[in-house]
Amino acid sequence: MEIEVTQEKLSKALNNVSRIAVGKVTLPILNNVLIRVDKSKVSLITTNLDMAIIDYLPVSSSKDGVITAPAKLLAEFVSNLPRGEKVKITSKDNKTTITAGKYSSTINGSPADDFPELPEIDEKKAVVFRMGVDEFKNGISSVVIASSNDLTRPALTGIYFDTYDKTLAVAATDGYRLAEKKLVKNVQSEISVIVPTTSLQEVLRSISDDMEEIEISFNEDLVRFRLGEIEIISKLIDASFPDYRRLIPKDNNIVVTLDRDELVRVTKLAALFARSVSGSIMCETKKPNTFSVKSIATELGKNNSSIETEVTEEGKVNLNSRFLLDALNSLDEKTIIVEFSSKITPVVLHNKKNQDYTHIVMPLNN
Amino acid sequence: MYNVWENVLAEIEQKVSPANYSTWFQDTSLLSSTDDNIIIGVKNSFHIKQLQTKFIDIIKEALNNNHLPTKNISFEVQLTNKPKVRAREVVATPESLKTHVSPLKKSLPTNNSGLNSKYTLDNFIVGSNNDLAVAAAKSIIDAPGTRYNPFFLYGGSGLGKTHLVQAIGNELLKRNPDFKILYTPISDFYADFVNHVLNGKGKDFNNKFRKLDCLIIDDFQLIIGKDKSQEEFFNIFNNLHQLNKQIIVTSDRLPSQIKTLDDRLANRLTWAGAFDLQLPKFEDKCAILRAKADLMGAEIEQEAIEYIAENTNTNVRDLEGELSTILLMSEVRGLTPLELIQNGSASIHNNSKLRPTTSKQIAEKVAKYYNLTLKEMRSKSRVTNIKTARQITMFLLSTELSMSTTKIATEVGVKDHTTVMHGIDKIKNDLKLNFTLRDQIEEIKGQIYG
Repeated sequence: MEIEVTQEKLSKALNNVSRIAVGKVTLPILNNVLIRVDKSKVSLITTNLDMAIIDYLPVSSSKDGVITAPAKLLAEFVSNLPRGEKVKITSKDNKTTITAGKYSSTINGSPADDFPELPEIDEKKAVVFRMGVDEFKNGISSVVIASSNDLTRPALTGIYFDTYDKTLAVAATDGYRLAEKKLVKNVQSEISVIVPTTSLQEVLRSISDDMEEIEISFNEDLVRFRLGEIEIISKLIDASFPDYRRLIPKDNNIVVTLDRDELVRVTKLAALFARSVSGSIMCETKKPNTFSVKSIATELGKNNSSIETEVTEEGKVNLNSRFLLDALNSLDEKTIIVEFSSKITPVVLHNKKNQDYTHIVMPLNN
Repeated sequence: MYNVWENVLAEIEQKVSPANYSTWFQDTSLLSSTDDNIIIGVKNSFHIKQLQTKFIDIIKEALNNNHLPTKNISFEVQLTNKPKVRAREVVATPESLKTHVSPLKKSLPTNNSGLNSKYTLDNFIVGSNNDLAVAAAKSIIDAPGTRYNPFFLYGGSGLGKTHLVQAIGNELLKRNPDFKILYTPISDFYADFVNHVLNGKGKDFNNKFRKLDCLIIDDFQLIIGKDKSQEEFFNIFNNLHQLNKQIIVTSDRLPSQIKTLDDRLANRLTWAGAFDLQLPKFEDKCAILRAKADLMGAEIEQEAIEYIAENTNTNVRDLEGELSTILLMSEVRGLTPLELIQNGSASIHNNSKLRPTTSKQIAEKVAKYYNLTLKEMRSKSRVTNIKTARQITMFLLSTELSMSTTKIATEVGVKDHTTVMHGIDKIKNDLKLNFTLRDQIEEIKGQIYG
């Protein structure tokens, strides 16, 4: 096997795939990257058996063949080579030699046969969605924050891709908050599957500025993301996601329109005094036109800030300030809407104009 | 079918490296096999391709040696939740939703619940052997489906598992007359399932359970081997749990010790912890006897109660049995229970456990349990399992024979009594969290007294 490629391109591809090639002690081959040249098509592959990253690398010249070598070592070696240098990788008897001008090193690899075969998407049965990379990125990042890392509840460690009312929505919850984003409208297919959050984070990390479209293909037990030269395959989480739409309260009688930046500011101020009480702050509405945020720290003192806005009904609710800030950071319009109806019902937040995104924060009871 | 697959795996294990075995084969199972076809279940789709290409020859050979078909071997990912991918089948969610929001049907026959109203919390005697479990039970009654969900209760027979869980059911029903509760021993669950399947009504079976607010499964350990009903139970479990419906399960051992139980299910059952009912201590036994006697409206002297408590070491059911025998005899003969005992006419049935004769016996049983010789155990070795065995011996000598720490030190061959004190404390502390250790010690005790 032989390839010749510029340092920049190789380094980028290696960095991209080597992220998941770590920490498997049981099967050391999983720490390796597989480089395969098949009819001048070069692919770099890593897997941790929950997901796999494949990067198709455009090269200037190549000879067919397969090698594997420790991914981290290779990535670090190449990234330290001078930029603009032509890098040549050749292999012989499981030994991989990398040469770039005066620099050269030989790495002992393992037989490529030991590298696991990857599952493939059954294209005939697949449900495929295509969308702009930016939409995808914004949508997924806005719900990822609400997903859980509690492994005892596997369903919550993923993002739920669910179609209803001809819309593809993504949702995540950790039991304390919930975020939903309507991602694609007018869809014909139906899916409800849970994609591991860790896999989606890899997808987000793989996105670079020059990418325009993402293609997502679902099978019953597998999902594939295609982004430019990169393919990410992941297993799905085998669990059922809670019927989350039931949690979103409708008909809230307290509806407040607020300036997002201003609410972020008063929440941050209140949070300073809320550290001793697990970040609990109180939001209160007073007629005719006051929305206030309060916090009390018994020894430290207290804080009270208010924002002038139209108020439909009086009421108050206790919230975790960190969760409120997370929610506000996930909203992106200048004007936002906060809705709730009592001390014990969840608080709903969304942008004023585009209401595709809904964030819910459960109240604290005290 | 399970056993055959175990054999196949055992054969494969010898042919591939341990790393390969644990990565690729450990979680496989035999899903079905007919004359020509065989379907093997795997963990996720990353495993299929690998088994198909790299290991197919080894699999074929092992199947062949076990007289299984090798013509068409296929692999499938075992999905507990059928995910929806373009499938247009009607999902039952709206229905479960409906039952959730409007549980206001008045005509609920409570006798459908399978509960026996004689079991209540009022006549369940709380002692140090069961106070944790009872505390959890009370919190379930106050807020079902929240903190202790699933509620996993385990303990030997006759210690009150059925009583406690039925009491929870009865109390929930009393407070929420509209609650849908079902109490069923796992054997009935299984029979019911088979019936439904035979009549082609598998779906109804699932729906019947989906509508429940609380499901109580008794004697769960009997699920052993019935893998189809296991799967069904797993689905029902997941559904109810997602809807925050209370699930209560009793068993005579921990899920991890039910050998053929699916690991995922075993894990889920103890999500909210496992609660055990232990053998009552002397004081607890007296309290139980007193309460039972009061309940029966019988008079019995304190000394008689203490006598029965001291001489019955098996379980609560036997304790009650002894009490009623003595009360019955005293009524027939016109003597008070104490007089009956004093003139020797009341012999406690000798199924009760005897005190062990010697400290040597305890040491021997512990050593045997851990596959050690007495000499090895008494050596100065710091190897973990030898050390643990030594500490368990110390613990048992102290609790069972009330030996002094100095004496114990000579018995197990350690330097001085502080080492013994440390050892005993270590085991005592570990017992609070380590259920496996607790069960091991119970098993050793069984061997000593058995």
